[in-house]
Formats: sequence, structure tokens, C-alpha cells
Amino acid sequence: MNNLILAVILGAAFGFALYNAGAGFRANIRAMLTGRDTTLMKTILFGIGFASALLSISIFSGVLDLGHLSIKPLSLAVPVGGLIFGVGFGYLGNCPGTVLASLPYRNKMKTLGVLAGGIFGAWLYALTFSFWKGTDIFNMLDFGKTTLFRLSPSIPSVLEVGPEGLFLLGGALMVVAALLPRRLDGKA
Amino acid sequence: MDMKSDNRYKWLPGAILLGLVFFLAVFLVKPVGVSTQFSQTAGMVWSAADPAVARPLPEAGASAYTSSNAYFAKDGGKLAKAVAQPWNYGFLFVLAIPLGAFAAHLWRRKDEPAERFATSPVSGRLQFLSGFLGGAVMLYGARLAGGCTSGHMFSGMMQGSLSSYFFAAAVFATAVPTAIFVRKLSKGGADHE
Repeated sequence: MNNLILAVILGAAFGFALYNAGAGFRANIRAMLTGRDTTLMKTILFGIGFASALLSISIFSGVLDLGHLSIKPLSLAVPVGGLIFGVGFGYLGNCPGTVLASLPYRNKMKTLGVLAGGIFGAWLYALTFSFWKGTDIFNMLDFGKTTLFRLSPSIPSVLEVGPEGLFLLGGALMVVAALLPRRLDGKA
Repeated sequence: MDMKSDNRYKWLPGAILLGLVFFLAVFLVKPVGVSTQFSQTAGMVWSAADPAVARPLPEAGASAYTSSNAYFAKDGGKLAKAVAQPWNYGFLFVLAIPLGAFAAHLWRRKDEPAERFATSPVSGRLQFLSGFLGGAVMLYGARLAGGCTSGHMFSGMMQGSLSSYFFAAAVFATAVPTAIFVRKLSKGGADHE
């Protein structure tokens, strides 16, 4: 099938799944982060675990085109960027993907603000990229593109265990998701 | 299953659907990702004012692009090319997300509390400004980290990517205290939207 048609189908499916899981509603994400209601956390952890299990089965049985795997490189920029990201994420209760699934809800002005601000932030990063490149941030903690388990001969891994390791990790995430208490803030 | 346990696993079908989408994206094309398209869009706006942001580089090949900006020029001008030829896979994927969300909204409308769609007491201008600030911080961090919740957390963790575990730990280290602080500020804990 044409990749551009697949882009629309998969993007729409992603938006459907995000909205359906309640991830597009900002208060749900804030309730998850403050430990008042972990439903969304359970949903996301289980979703990731389930996807890991399916992925490992597809690798193990040889039906996955290993070229489809895409691993992001590790450097100090990843945790530093994550810390900055978390401030915006915790403040808004939106992330760059879920904000697009927030559009059906009220307060569309806020949703549009996040989108415009996001474009501005991405532009600001492009302007300051040379500064970051001048620091050592991309060379420190530089483990490149690494996976925990050996999924493809062309991607280095921390452990020698293959897709069966990813299968077990996925299973563990699903169990954690199921057992995670509904509230983590100590209230009943 | 009795009523109580039924209710306890109400989230499960949604979780299975989400996992299925993560997997299908990798199986058919590549992992889901969103934040690169914010850079592409920023570049599209910027290049309208300054064409040097995305210009062809014929000496490097017929479809090669480069940029006056180091970020758009990196990795062989990959982003500069996306700016000049925007109708690529990643951009269409991101544009289609709201379509799916509205479809789910039509389907699930009756289960959602009406107040989630009522008019807000906060002025639109203030909401826009608040969203703008948060969005700018968030995307700045995402571009530095090389991905966001979609590309790093969902896609990265499902593939067992080392970098994504670092990203997830760092995100929660600031997102949790920020969310708690914002909630304390908004007196009595009434959720601001």
C-alpha cells in the first residue's frame, strides 16, 4: 500500500486510540502525574508492554522487516531535554501527540496555544542548536543507538538476550499495569 | 466477572487498542513519532520569510537539500528537505491524529461528562498564552532530547531502547513535581483546564 495512505490511516488510528484512552483530556494526564488517578498510567504501561510482546513475536517468527525498527541515540542531551520537556508536560497535562487529540474538548484556545507554542519552541531550538553543539552535551553519555535486547544484528544491545527478553519485559510491564493501585497519593 | 472487577479493568480495551496501534505502525512502516513535525512546521514558516532555511543543493544530488541553519542542515539536510517537500509520511501521520480523535469523539460522545465540552470561565486569550508558554518549553526539551512522549516513550520503550528509559525517567522527575505544584497553586485543587 502507498506509504502516504498508510500515514493517514495509522495517524488517524493513533489519534483514535489516544482520545479513546482519555489521553487527550489534560485533566486526566494531570491526575496521573499527581497520583490521584493512575488509570491512564495503567493504560499506557499496558499498551507499551503489549506492543513489546507483539513486536518480539514478530521478530522471533521472522515476519518483521528489521529495517522498520528505529532507535534514538542516547547522549546527555536525552535526559537534559527530558527534564525540560517534563516541566511543560507537567504544567500542561498535554504532550506533543496528545495535544492533537485534545482538539475535540473545550478550551480549544489552550490547545491552539500549545500547538503554536510548540512550533515556536521547536524554532527556538533550531536557533540555539549550534550553542548545544558547542557544549559537550551530545558527546557525553554517548551510547549511540542501543537497545536493551538483541533485536537486530545491526543494532548494538546491552544484553545478549534476543527478542525473548523483550517479550518478558513486555509481560512484566503488563503485570505492573494491572497491579498498579488506582491512586498513589495515599487517599482512598 | 462480577460488576466490581468488570469496572476495575475498564481501561483494558483502550490499552490493547493503543498497543496494537504502536505495533502496527512499526510492523507496516516505522514507529510513531510527533515532535519532528513541529520542527518541520517551524521551518516551513521560517523558510517563507527566509528561503535560505531550505534550499536545494544540486551539487549533492537531484533531491538534496541544505539550510543556512545548522539544525535543519544536519543529517544530510533531512529536515531542510522535509521543509521544502512537506507532504511526507511523518507530516501526514501527524495531521491525521485529530481526524482519528474527532472520530473517537463522535463514537464516545455519550460516555463523556458534558462539562468537558462546556465553555470555560477562563478568557481565551489567557488560555492561549498559558498553552503557548507550556508548549514552547515542552517542544524545546523534546527537540533537545530527540523525541517526545510518542517517539521516545511509546515507540522507544516498546522497542526496549536504552535512550528512551533515560528520557522517561527524566520526564517524570520534573513532570510530577510540576503537576503537583501547579495543582497547589490553583487553590483547593480545582483543575484548571
